[in-house]
Amino acid sequence: MIKVGIPRALLYYQYYPAWETFFETLGAEVVVSPPTNKAMLNSGISRAVADTCLPVKILLGHAISLVDKCTCIFIPAVSSLGEKTYNCSKIIGLPNMARALIPECPAILDPVINVEKGRYSLYQNIYKLGRHFTSNPFKLRRAIAKAWKSNLAYRSRMFDEGIMPVQAIEGVFQERGQSEPGLNSSPLRIAVIGHPYVLYDEYISHRLISRLQNRRVEVFTPEMASQKAISAAARRLVGDPHWSFESDIIGAGEYYLEEEVDGVISVSVFGCGPDSMMIGFVQHRAKELEIPFLPLSLDEHSSEGGLLTRLEAFLDMVKRRERVCV
Amino acid sequence: MRVGIPNFGNSYIAVKAAAQKLDAGDNELVIPPPMTRRTLDLGVKYSPVEACLPYKLTLGSLIEACELGADTLIHARGTGICRLGYYAKGQEQMLHDLGYNAHFLTIDISQHKFRSIMRLIKDVTNGAPWPKIISAFYFAVGKLFALDKIEKVVHKVRALEIDKGTASQIYQEAIRAIDGAPNQREVKKLTRHYVDRLSKIPKNPKASPIKVGIVGEIYVVIEPFSNMDIEVELGKLGVEVHRTMTISRWVKYSLFLNYLGINEWRGVHKLAMPYLDHDVGGDGWESVGEKVLYSRKGYDGLIHLAPFTCMPEIVAQNIMPSTKEDIPVLAVLCDEQMAKQGLITRLEAFVDLLEFRRKRRDGKRA
Repeated sequence: MIKVGIPRALLYYQYYPAWETFFETLGAEVVVSPPTNKAMLNSGISRAVADTCLPVKILLGHAISLVDKCTCIFIPAVSSLGEKTYNCSKIIGLPNMARALIPECPAILDPVINVEKGRYSLYQNIYKLGRHFTSNPFKLRRAIAKAWKSNLAYRSRMFDEGIMPVQAIEGVFQERGQSEPGLNSSPLRIAVIGHPYVLYDEYISHRLISRLQNRRVEVFTPEMASQKAISAAARRLVGDPHWSFESDIIGAGEYYLEEEVDGVISVSVFGCGPDSMMIGFVQHRAKELEIPFLPLSLDEHSSEGGLLTRLEAFLDMVKRRERVCV
Repeated sequence: MRVGIPNFGNSYIAVKAAAQKLDAGDNELVIPPPMTRRTLDLGVKYSPVEACLPYKLTLGSLIEACELGADTLIHARGTGICRLGYYAKGQEQMLHDLGYNAHFLTIDISQHKFRSIMRLIKDVTNGAPWPKIISAFYFAVGKLFALDKIEKVVHKVRALEIDKGTASQIYQEAIRAIDGAPNQREVKKLTRHYVDRLSKIPKNPKASPIKVGIVGEIYVVIEPFSNMDIEVELGKLGVEVHRTMTISRWVKYSLFLNYLGINEWRGVHKLAMPYLDHDVGGDGWESVGEKVLYSRKGYDGLIHLAPFTCMPEIVAQNIMPSTKEDIPVLAVLCDEQMAKQGLITRLEAFVDLLEFRRKRRDGKRA
C-alpha cells in the first residue's frame, strides 16, 4: 500500500481534511508528521538559505521527519486560488525547494493547483496526481467529490461552531468560551489575525491563542468569519486582492475592526513577503478607527518571555482603555 | 499637472526624451535627483520595516519628486505574486499620510503592458495625437537602446583597461551626452562615437579576464545605487561582467515581441525545467535558468543579486545549489544595511576563488 506523508505545516491547517479524504478514498495510507518540535525546526533551518521564512523552514523539517516513514510526500504547489490572485512565491515553489534541499526525500507528489489557468488544467493536474493510486477515473472522481465535501464540512464546522482548525481536524469539540466570565468584567473581544500555519502551530506561536483564552479573552480568528464577509472587507480595504491567503487575513482584520472588537493582534513571521505589505494596511485602518493594534513578528529566535510581556502589556492597555471609556 | 517618476536605472532619460518630444503644454515632468543616502533614509523611514529594498528606494525617490512639486506620480504595477502588486497602493497611502496629495498613475507591467503605457502617455499629454506619441516613444526607446549598447562595451572594457576608471568616466559622459541629444540621428552618432572611444582605451593585451554573469531581481540588477555599483567594483577587480537583464531588452520583448509570441526567456525557462518547472513570480525562474545557461557558456562565476526577503529570489537561492551544472554563485542580498567595504571584501574573496578554480582547471588540462 502506498503511504502518503503529509507534513503538518503550511497548508496542512487549511486543507488537511480534504487531502486525507482524497488519499484514503484512493486506498492510500496517510502519515502525518508529529507536531513541530525543536529538532524538526533545526533540521529545517540547517537546509534552507538563511532568509527563507520560518514556515518554509518548518515544512522542510516536517518533510525530513517523514523521509523514512512513507513512500511519497505530498507537497502541492498551490499557485492560484482564484482569478488574478496568486500565492506567495515560496508556496508556489515549495515542491521544487523541497526536492532541491532534501535530496534523500522519497518521491514528492507535487500537483500544481492553479485555478487561474482554468478548470481543465486544474482537473488535469489532479488526475495526474490520482494516477499514482488508481487508473480508474470514476474512482478518482468519487475521491475528488468526497474530498471537496469534507473540505466544505471542515470550513463550515469552523465557521458555525467557532472552533480552531486543530480542534476541527482532530474532531474535538469544545464549547465556545469555556472560561467563566469574571465577577465584574465582561470578556475582552480580541481578534487574532495571521496565517493558520503560524497561529495554530503551537511551537511557533507559543500557544498564543490558548494563552489569550486563559486570560478570559474571547478570541476571534479569520476562520470564524464568513468567507463572503471577509472578501468584501478585503475589497474595501485594498481593492482587488493579489494574494489569496493574505487578503483573507486583512479582510478578517478589517471585518473585525468594523465589528468593533476591543483590539486586534496580528501575528506574522519575519521575512513573510505578503504580510510585510498587507499588515500595514490593517494597522493603518486600526489607527484611523482608534482600535488598539499589536503587530507581533515571530521568528526562530523569538522568546516566549518577550512575547508574554508584550501580550500582557497589550491586554492591560486594552482593559484600561475600556475602563476609561466607560 | 507636474508628473513625477521614481528613479530606475537610466529610465529617466527615456521619460525625459519622450516628454521633450511630446511637449504637453502646462504638464511638466519632475525627475527626482539621483538617489543618495537621503533617498534611502527617507524610504526606510516611511516604509514597512520588512518591505523590500526596491519598495523603499522607489518610495524615497517619489518623496523627493513630491518635494520638487510633483502632484502626479507614475509607478509600475503588476498583478502578482511578488510585493510589486502593492507598491503603488502602499506608497500612495504613505505619501498621503505625509501630506502629499499625489495622484498615482500606474503602468501594468504584467499584462497589457503596451496598452497601459500608451494609455498613460495619452492621459498625461491631454490626448496628444498618435503619430506624435509614436515618434516620441521611438525616440525615447532609441536612447535606451543606445545606452545599453554602450554599457555592454563598458562591461568588457572595464576588465581590461590599464588605467582603471577610464571606461566608467566615459560611460558617465555618454549618459549625459545622450540625455542631451535632440534627435535620433544625434543619438546614433553619439553611440558610434562613444563605442569608438571606449575601444581606443589602452588595454592589457595579455589579460584573459574572469567572466562573471549577473542575475537576479530586475530592480537591484539594473539600478546601480541599490547594488552599490557592483559592476564598477567588479571591473576594478579585472572582472568582465555580463548581464542579460537591461531596460532596453525589457522594452523590446515585453512591449513588442511578446505580443508576437516570442518569449525572450523561453530558452532560459527550458534550462530551469529540471529544477523549477513553473513560474514563481518576479525573476526567480529566470535566475535558476540563467545559472544553468551561464555555466554552459563557460562563465567562471555568477553573482545573484536579490533584495533582502525577496520571495521569488529566495526560491531561486534555495534551488540553485542543487543544480547539476556547477558554477560558483555569490548571493548578494541588498538592503539598507549593506556596506560598500563589506561588499568589496566579499567580491575580492569571490574573485580569488574564481581565479583559483580557473588555475586548477587549466593545470588539469595541461
